[in-house]
Amino acid sequence: MMQNSEGTKSDSDVYLRVEKLKTQFFTSRGIVKALDEVNLNIKKGEIFGLVGESGCGKSVTAQSIMYLVPDPPGRIVSGKIYVGNVNMLIGLDRLAKITIKSETNVKIKRNKRLIKRHNYLLSKIRGDRISMIFQEPTLALNPVLRVGDQISENIMLHLKIEMANAILRREMATRKDYESFVQKVFSIGDKDQRGKEILDWCENYSISDAEELVGNIFLTYQDPETIIKSLEFIVNERKSGTDINRLSRARDYYVYQQKLFEATLKLMEAEANGRQDEIESAKYELNEAKREGGTFLSFRVINIFMRRRIEAPLRDAAKRRVIELLTLVNISEPERAAISYPHELSGGMQQRVMIAMALASSPQMLIADEPTTALDVTTQAQILDLIRNLNRQMGSSVLFITHDLAVIAQMCNRVGVMYAGNIVEEADVNTIFDNPKHPYTIGLLRALPRADRIAGKMVKLDTVAGTVPNLITPPSGCRFHPRCKFKMDICEQKKPELDDLGGGHKVACFLYQEPGGSTQ
Amino acid sequence: MILPSAVDWMELRYFILRRILLLIPTILGLSIFMFILIEAVPKAILVTPYINPHVQIPYIIQEQNALKLLGFNYPPPIAYLFYLDRLFHGDLGLMSMPGYPNSVSAAIIDALPNTIQLTIFASIVSIAIAIPLGTYIGARPNSVADQASRVFSLTGYAIPAFWLALLLQLALGKGTIFGNPFGVLPISGSYNPSLIPYPAPSWFVNGYTDPTHLVIFDSLIHGDIPLFFDALEHIVLPVLTLTYGLLAGILRFMRAGMVDASNQEYVKTARSKGVPEKLVIKKHIRKNAMIPTVTVMGLLVAGLLGGVVLVEYVFSYPGMGYLTTQGILSYQVWLIIGTTLVFGLILVMTNLVVDVVYALTDPRIRY
Repeated sequence: MMQNSEGTKSDSDVYLRVEKLKTQFFTSRGIVKALDEVNLNIKKGEIFGLVGESGCGKSVTAQSIMYLVPDPPGRIVSGKIYVGNVNMLIGLDRLAKITIKSETNVKIKRNKRLIKRHNYLLSKIRGDRISMIFQEPTLALNPVLRVGDQISENIMLHLKIEMANAILRREMATRKDYESFVQKVFSIGDKDQRGKEILDWCENYSISDAEELVGNIFLTYQDPETIIKSLEFIVNERKSGTDINRLSRARDYYVYQQKLFEATLKLMEAEANGRQDEIESAKYELNEAKREGGTFLSFRVINIFMRRRIEAPLRDAAKRRVIELLTLVNISEPERAAISYPHELSGGMQQRVMIAMALASSPQMLIADEPTTALDVTTQAQILDLIRNLNRQMGSSVLFITHDLAVIAQMCNRVGVMYAGNIVEEADVNTIFDNPKHPYTIGLLRALPRADRIAGKMVKLDTVAGTVPNLITPPSGCRFHPRCKFKMDICEQKKPELDDLGGGHKVACFLYQEPGGSTQ
Repeated sequence: MILPSAVDWMELRYFILRRILLLIPTILGLSIFMFILIEAVPKAILVTPYINPHVQIPYIIQEQNALKLLGFNYPPPIAYLFYLDRLFHGDLGLMSMPGYPNSVSAAIIDALPNTIQLTIFASIVSIAIAIPLGTYIGARPNSVADQASRVFSLTGYAIPAFWLALLLQLALGKGTIFGNPFGVLPISGSYNPSLIPYPAPSWFVNGYTDPTHLVIFDSLIHGDIPLFFDALEHIVLPVLTLTYGLLAGILRFMRAGMVDASNQEYVKTARSKGVPEKLVIKKHIRKNAMIPTVTVMGLLVAGLLGGVVLVEYVFSYPGMGYLTTQGILSYQVWLIIGTTLVFGLILVMTNLVVDVVYALTDPRIRY
């Protein structure tokens, strides 16, 4: 009970919550039970490390969270993935009907209409709230598109409304705006706070390239009148003479699209709950939202033919943001990098571009799937530094997947150890290294050369005997028992639950459980 | 669609220039090969069209004069220079076939536009169908549409063009099967001669000109609408025949390219960015699938030239293929060598275009 109350308390700052995620691959040789009810909680701003041997389901976890498991043959069978407050797997059981006649004979009947709607939901969440950095930057960047276009694609998909608002504010800026801004900055004493305020204001007025200039103005002049004049000059210089009516019409249209999405999401949630009255009211709301679309009929027709013209100011703003992002990830000559193709960049640069792309619309959650495996050691250190700094600056959570324990020790706040599709131990990083509990974790750490343990003498490194089991026919009970030194009878019969030993240190092993007691 | 957002035009211009300069040795090699073919032919046959039996000059003397004119009294390397000189002056030799001009170049100039027209129409139709269709089925591998298209394309590969031409004539041709309700299309020629007061060459005589040598466009230029529609009807069956094979080829490659590209990692990246599924297919997958397709497209269009010879013969369509077969049947050596040379030139040109388009589609190709 005590755990529970703690759980609800920490729930508010959990951003990614994965519940009983089960992913399987339906192959001709049988069903690969790749993930077996994985639970994960990642708090806001934390770096969570996921570690394990290759083939134990780390990457499948990452791909499942993004709903990127290649289908066929893979499918998420059950589970919930809450990103913020939205369940990405909403209505999962109705997307496809799986009838298992035998291990090798599985019929999957897909509901195309619902899958289409689910894809629509995914396209709004992916990239916006959660994004991913892949293992091989060389393969993960599209070879025929310019780097800048690939990054700005993300921005154009998710930040249209914000950009349109900022541009409209800039184009229609009046003396009042400057006055209130100057007053606000004067009222703030703290230097850092001031800088942040200035940055926010510049972003709000789509003149973020002039941030330094504005900061300098506040440093050099004391007289409000002069500052207002100079601000006016700066903003006027950046006005592009965009057609305000057209842009605000476009903005309204994007807002309408967002409303439509929210109404659809509500309907999907209601359908998942299965309550008739909720469904009816959600349907009614959706129809209301759709009716509003009638007023955009003429705009939609124009949008087909003049899309490039209408989106031109947004694309300019996106381009500027691309340069900022590339600077943020320490790419020298960002302007040149933006117009080059992926093959013209080195591996480290490509991974930086990948990171910039993942950060483009400031997602709250970042999944890094072995981001440094394909890079050499010096570049690896730079990329790790970069991810850590960005996590600190932007406050987004990171799910960091690697097989390298040294990287885990360097990067993460909390660690989950994975084995054959299960998380077997979860604790904060110091506990894992100082006080590992699960036999597998202990084995993994023994396999690591340590300066303190082998000082001065030759010590043979331990290995975990055996290999990761074939997941078509996984071992019964605890999946680790065939390799475990401390095997007990119960391990073969029953699957251990992930139990809290106190202080957030969770282990799934019967060694630390009263048999049949605390699992309830 | 194919063009990237911004191409380095300066660099591309150098690339094209270099490719054009590279054409020169290729074409010279082609001409040497043609000359070897000429040398292989007995001289008596080569000079036959140069001898006029109606003139009161002895045959021997005429033959001697012709050999001298063609440079065959010199050793082969010098004779090659004579041949080259004649090529530069647009002289491909003489021929004597009833209903055709005396000069091979004149006959080719009359026939070539028709062949180009057939090839271009067939290419446009098949590309316009194959790319969207290939995109559609490539995004849905193993669906019903995909299986149907597989049957369609394998049939297209298997059926020889000339046999398909005969089948189409039977199925859709006017007057081939009695009472066939679909038999509405003309099966031979490029237009109905009765629509023009004089046979084709007399267009000049009648005050007409034929700036494009193509009945379809000339009739439009002269405002002769009935003739335009008639010529259009005549082109349907040959184009349909050529389209089938080409369409089948491009469709297969487009589908394979789509399936291959959609398994790549960058598609996952695109999805992870929240790109809507439709855009993933159009922007990320199709753009990459186009690369192998464009390469093969050039080869297929060049391969079409082989098919066009037989197809034109079946439809009596007065193009290069028809001209060549007529020449073969009546032993017109200069004509055969001339048309072969022109086919070779077309092939070289197609390759140039393919190289440029390839460079435009795939930025990894550095010029």
